[in-house]
Amino acid sequence: MARLPTMPRCAQHPSTSEKPLSLGDPAVRVDALAMPDPNAFTMSRSWKRILLESLAIAAIGLVLALLANGVSPRGLSLTRDYFPGKTKPTVVRRPEVTAPETAKGPATPASATITSSASEELSARLREKGLQGIGGTEVRQLFDDPQYAQELIVFVDARDDHHYQEGHVPGAYQFDRYYPAKHLPAVLPVCLSALKVVVYCTGGNCEDSEFAALALKEVGVPPERLFVYTGGITEWSARGWPLESGGRKSGLIQGFKP
Amino acid sequence: MNDAIPPSSRPVFRELSLLVARCLLGGVMVVLGLSKALHPVDFLKILQQYGMTENHVVLNGIAAALPWFEIFCGLLLLGGIAVRGTALLSIAMLVPFSAIVLHRALALHESMAIPFCAIRFNCGCGAGEVIICHKLLENGFLILISGLLLTTTPRRWCLRPEMFQRE
Repeated sequence: MARLPTMPRCAQHPSTSEKPLSLGDPAVRVDALAMPDPNAFTMSRSWKRILLESLAIAAIGLVLALLANGVSPRGLSLTRDYFPGKTKPTVVRRPEVTAPETAKGPATPASATITSSASEELSARLREKGLQGIGGTEVRQLFDDPQYAQELIVFVDARDDHHYQEGHVPGAYQFDRYYPAKHLPAVLPVCLSALKVVVYCTGGNCEDSEFAALALKEVGVPPERLFVYTGGITEWSARGWPLESGGRKSGLIQGFKP
Repeated sequence: MNDAIPPSSRPVFRELSLLVARCLLGGVMVVLGLSKALHPVDFLKILQQYGMTENHVVLNGIAAALPWFEIFCGLLLLGGIAVRGTALLSIAMLVPFSAIVLHRALALHESMAIPFCAIRFNCGCGAGEVIICHKLLENGFLILISGLLLTTTPRRWCLRPEMFQRE
């Protein structure tokens, strides 16, 4: 309801002073039209308050979020380029995309579908970056080489803790490149003294092995000794080759070694 | 206006529905935010795949802050603190996110000749690989809930429904 304007008592006629004003009075109509709608005014104030409230929450939340990221052991560095030299991804290269037919299987990762085109694409990309791609057969030969036991050939798993613990190439070192401070002290000396370093991740379009190899190259591992296993652990396990679960040299070997 | 109605005269059913809406939206935000905050690298990789920005500091900033920010907003909603402001922020997060996911899904639909509702990928919502149709519906529902909370001030079972309360 519009609040009725009050008239100064001295301006009222004695006979009408007691009569309440109604919206029907022409004078009131004119005055009411001249006044801003109080409801609209309240609404506008209310929205302003909400906007102010959300801005305050956004500011406080942002500060708290950055603090939480800072204290979290898994927090990200804000300034580090995690994808050096990475070009804008194209739609068709997305590894996770699957039609439901393929996804109905028992928890098969979509990236498990390794196509030859993906492998070729990866090899070409590696060459551009001064790295070398390597296939499953050669990787297996390196694994069976006696030099592997002497750590002259080293396997490096570029995946995260969870996936590494689930299953890795027996004897492979873990190097999750997102947390170099955690892994480099153990991996770097071995890689520097090795003749060949095989870096792998999930395979397919997984790029962690590529970036891990680049990171190792940056810290002094000669690029001619670095090999990226294009098929990755997906191909390795698909071929029924042994997998070690838990930590490195845990002795928990799955699969067989023909 | 709803704001003028004293709390006691509000139907309990209405207040209950607001409580459920708050808990649902807040709960979803906390759970999905936590799953991203615990695996920020995975979230960063997904954001990178969207190709939203070439600036790595901006990308890292989004990947580092957004999950914790989501948790913060979720906790505010669960506690009934600054509900309308938080609901507005929730809409501000959900609408662009849904638009990006829709854009990506449409691009896949065209390039891979997959039926739209058969497209599934890890959209970065924190729930892993999902059917995009379902995800968009879910987001639409969450936007509706946020809209409800934005337009109605809950009065009961809230610690501080408005940050800047009128005296």
